Amino acid sequence: MAATATGIHHRSYTSELRLRATKAEYFRLGLTLALLVVVPFVLDNYWLSIVNTILIAVIGAVGLNILVGYTGQISLGQGGFLAVGAYTSAILTERYGVPVLLSVVAAVVATAAIGIFFGLPGLRLKGLYLAIATLASQVIIEFVVRRDPGGFLTEGAGYIDVARLNILGWQVERSTFEQQWYLILAIITVLAVVAARNLFRTGLGRSFMAVRDQDIAAEAIGVNLTRAKLTAFAVSSGYVGLAGALIAHYTEIVSWERFTLDVSITYLAMIIVGGLGSIAGAVYGAIFMSLLPVLIRTAAQQWGDAVPVLKDQLPAVQNALFGAVIIAFLIFEPRGLARLWQRAKDYVRYWPFRY
Amino acid sequence: MIRNRFSLVAAAAALSLGLSACGNGGGGEGDGGDAGAPIKIGIIADLTGATGDVGTPYNEGMLAYIDHRNADGGIDGHKIEALSNDYAYEVPKAEQLYKQYVNDGVVAIQGWGTGDSEALRTKVANDELPFMSGSFAEVLADPEESPYNFVVAPTYSDQMRVALNWINEDSGGTGEVAVFHHDSPFGEAPVADGQAWVEEKGYDLGYQAYAMPGGSANYVGLLSQAKSQGAKYVVIQNVASPAAQVAKDIKDQGLDMKVVCLNWCGNELFITTAGADAAEGHLLIQPFAPVTSEKPGHETIAAYLEDKGESIDDKGAAWVQGWSVMDVMAQGIAKVLDDGDEVTGPALREALETMGPIDTEGLIGDGTVEFSADSHRGSTSTGVYQSEGGQMVEVEAGARP
Repeated sequence: MAATATGIHHRSYTSELRLRATKAEYFRLGLTLALLVVVPFVLDNYWLSIVNTILIAVIGAVGLNILVGYTGQISLGQGGFLAVGAYTSAILTERYGVPVLLSVVAAVVATAAIGIFFGLPGLRLKGLYLAIATLASQVIIEFVVRRDPGGFLTEGAGYIDVARLNILGWQVERSTFEQQWYLILAIITVLAVVAARNLFRTGLGRSFMAVRDQDIAAEAIGVNLTRAKLTAFAVSSGYVGLAGALIAHYTEIVSWERFTLDVSITYLAMIIVGGLGSIAGAVYGAIFMSLLPVLIRTAAQQWGDAVPVLKDQLPAVQNALFGAVIIAFLIFEPRGLARLWQRAKDYVRYWPFRY
Repeated sequence: MIRNRFSLVAAAAALSLGLSACGNGGGGEGDGGDAGAPIKIGIIADLTGATGDVGTPYNEGMLAYIDHRNADGGIDGHKIEALSNDYAYEVPKAEQLYKQYVNDGVVAIQGWGTGDSEALRTKVANDELPFMSGSFAEVLADPEESPYNFVVAPTYSDQMRVALNWINEDSGGTGEVAVFHHDSPFGEAPVADGQAWVEEKGYDLGYQAYAMPGGSANYVGLLSQAKSQGAKYVVIQNVASPAAQVAKDIKDQGLDMKVVCLNWCGNELFITTAGADAAEGHLLIQPFAPVTSEKPGHETIAAYLEDKGESIDDKGAAWVQGWSVMDVMAQGIAKVLDDGDEVTGPALREALETMGPIDTEGLIGDGTVEFSADSHRGSTSTGVYQSEGGQMVEVEAGARP
């Protein structure tokens, strides 16, 4: 249980409901916003492209955490849902000429609908059983996009080319591609994160948490379990669909190779490392797990000559460290980076006392 | 006094700062118009992924060529600086590497797989970076679809056409063909074109495609499906190790089937992995001359390796392939420099399109590779080999569809 801030007195319910109460919190918020503004000016295109992929991963991870961390349902179908979002948006834009904004919305809706469908087993199954049921969703969706029955998805090509992003006549430019995408992704990500944060201050969000903590008790106090679970699947998949659609337009090509089971596992790792049941945790986890392989590669390029195994076996080293990090977190801090950050803040706030 | 000393120190600091700033500026100008500046090329390699068995020697061949060329003084006095990294056959990793290379200012890219080459197709066009790769998918040879991709050898589809022509003749016009392919864009690349070829030529061949599940210990199940199809020929579009497993299984099951390997399994690695016995008699479609075929281009390689204390006999077709593809790119760069131009992506593309036939000394197809503004298909001719006594024996040189 995180220590509560002592010495803060609220005079009204509105004040108590505020997302941020202390000056330090406002200071950190300001710092984060300043960082977001500065990033495109200090990073080169390569690092900015990594930041852009991280921003997309943040949306996906927040979506998954709504389902797994907050509602206690399990999903191994993240890769599949990303594919639904990506293919829907790409096909609508490229083949039917739907404006990008509408096709992204359609992708969110379509993925939410598919999410509800594959969430149905969640009404009867829990834990490991549900995990395997959602694994089926990954396998089925991956099978469909990979085999592409009848050539409906890619018209036999195996991939879909997506034109450069064009919103109401405004087109992303080649020379400032990463910078413009950064702007778009940063805005969408901030909105998505704030929306998720606020979701858990509403009755709906609280019903999700009640289902997670004890579903029978939740039902006894009047939570409609069916509705809560299916809504959680819908909201979560909607987020993932949004991330998928953004992947399609950002990378400008959609092929099944990007939406495999590995992706589902990486996203689960993000929220485990970041912290289950914490929006901030999903953000930290997405940043950490996306940066880890990049940093390992950079290290390998720097010190590859001194430690040849680092360079010769790079992907193996990356996978091994990926596993080691998850194990380390499960052992030492199962509540992830979010909890570590919380403890660091508490330490500073209560120093020299321990609590 | 103290104040004086302080101002002296301050002045000295300011002076040294100013001097160092000047020094930087002067150094930049002092390079003298890029004479002898290295030419940066990015290499996206598969060393440890699903196609690492042939990806590793391909990468080694490429790096060996660069080493050889640099030791020889580089291209027109410019050294080649290769940035080579393993992407383990994962598309997102290839994209990250690509962006890193672009940021590092490379003038061209040597890629690897079909899935990632296709994924990067529009990006290399936007960034105007000529892109060659280990993928010979048909779409990459069409400048309208992929304006900056160059395919130095016959496409997988052309290789499949050559294979089908041969099967049609060998079977006397009525055969059953099972196509076993890697379960990826690479594997699927020639499948539909093969079917279309059978129809176009009016061949009376049965044709059925089967995806090879990755990581299989054996392909007995797949072979029994092919058997019930009545297949006498198994065309394999995969890398050497799984294809060798198919050959072993055919022998173990005592099946009367002939394997026809395309490019990435049509090499010595297939024979050594399967064992000479199991590989005996199978057909290998290989556009890049294996060492046993003793083409003039092999002499340069042999001399280079001898200097390094190695032997060309230890190197397979995939190694030669990496060497040759890098050679074609280097010849394009040499042309740009000969014309007195600066080496940029667009200049290299134009050089490759307009320089006419590129002599590969017999290493690729019938020996010459030629691109044009209408076609980035470097060659349509390929060698056809048969595995005899553990060796690749030439059946036909320069076969065309």
